[in-house]
Amino acid sequence: MGITLYHFPPSAPSRCALLVCKALGLDVDVQIVDLFAKEQLKPDFVQINPQHCVPTLTDGDCTIWESRAIASYLVNVYGKDDSLYPKDPKQRAIVDQRLHFDCGTLYPRIRAICFPVLFLGEVEIDEDKKASLEEAIGFLDIFLEGNNFMAGTNLTIADISIAASLSSIIAVGWDISAYSNVAAWFAKCSLEIPGYVEANQTGADQFGKAVKSKLAPGQI
Amino acid sequence: MTIDFYYIPGSAPCRAVMLTAIALGVELNYKLTDVMEGKQFEPEFLKINPQHTIPTINDNGFSLWESRAIMGYLVNKYGKDDSLYPKDPVKRAVVDQRMFFDLGTLYQRLADYYYPVYFAGAAFDPEKKTKIMDALQFLDTFLSKSTYAAGEQLTIADLTLVATVTTLEVVDFDLSSFKNIIRWLDVVKKNAPGYEEANGKNVLAFKALVDNLMKGR
Repeated sequence: MGITLYHFPPSAPSRCALLVCKALGLDVDVQIVDLFAKEQLKPDFVQINPQHCVPTLTDGDCTIWESRAIASYLVNVYGKDDSLYPKDPKQRAIVDQRLHFDCGTLYPRIRAICFPVLFLGEVEIDEDKKASLEEAIGFLDIFLEGNNFMAGTNLTIADISIAASLSSIIAVGWDISAYSNVAAWFAKCSLEIPGYVEANQTGADQFGKAVKSKLAPGQI
Repeated sequence: MTIDFYYIPGSAPCRAVMLTAIALGVELNYKLTDVMEGKQFEPEFLKINPQHTIPTINDNGFSLWESRAIMGYLVNKYGKDDSLYPKDPVKRAVVDQRMFFDLGTLYQRLADYYYPVYFAGAAFDPEKKTKIMDALQFLDTFLSKSTYAAGEQLTIADLTLVATVTTLEVVDFDLSSFKNIIRWLDVVKKNAPGYEEANGKNVLAFKALVDNLMKGR
């Protein structure tokens, strides 16, 4: 039966799941679910995932959603070693804290800027929302102080998740150059994360184009 | 050997960590960190957590924040068994999905709706209330399939979700249309170890805080 990933390339969390599949060398059947066309609300998909969100992954009999739960699951099951998601409780906890920061702070602040533009007809970005995102990127810069990667010396799913999120807002035109640790780390990720161009950059560019096309000039 | 725990009693994420520690028999060294008074910005605390949030733990030199990362860490490190956070990858993935649902959807929407009103003087936005209803509907659906949030055993998914849902309960959010949530609340309140001490009485501190903030508004 194999692994199926229900995926929407412009979606950062969805790209995170796909990138983890690539990093583990997994053969995955990718099924596109177009969120712009509300395909996630089709009955067949709601049957698979009652929360009707992407990414969703099926692996044999089991169905998993939430990108970061998918990422952890894939490494737990298919990782040849635990480098992408260490088993040691302290190392794992740091990866988890970064993943939760992405899910609960960074990505919501990116979404707060982009969702109203994409779906609610807004053409301007509130200064408060801009400041909020800058604060989150500032925290990333602190997390990276003295570290090669987000959670320490090695690439982990924390890097993949956060790189996918950040690539979306960078594709819209956000400037991260003031954050020297983040800028260096992001450049490194785009070279070192397996399959980055086709599994992440292409989709991020689609996202960026969609948001920019609806924004008034000079907003970012 | 206790673990330093920086918290305030009313905070849902803090209560979720307290529920986990009690269930594991892990002793916490409680350090009240009044975020309403800006204590999280004091230099000593910033050294431990540069993101200056609560809950934060310091386990004998190892500092960690994000409630659900703390909860997972406590079970992974101190659990006598894995019942609260199963090691089996499929079971763990379900717990993880429920935890991320709480973090990124349910608790997120509670905060989006209530916190600008309580803490920043804004007016209630009815659209944000609808988003909470939608999230509760999802939770109700998850709970239609099992006794607990992630299966037939109590896990940290239940502990984080009960902290969130009781926060809604205590500010009189109407949960009555969500039959599975009502059933589950009762089961968790009866079966989560130390429920009354960790959450039952501390969620009232949240109510007291918001009642005070909303006085005369």
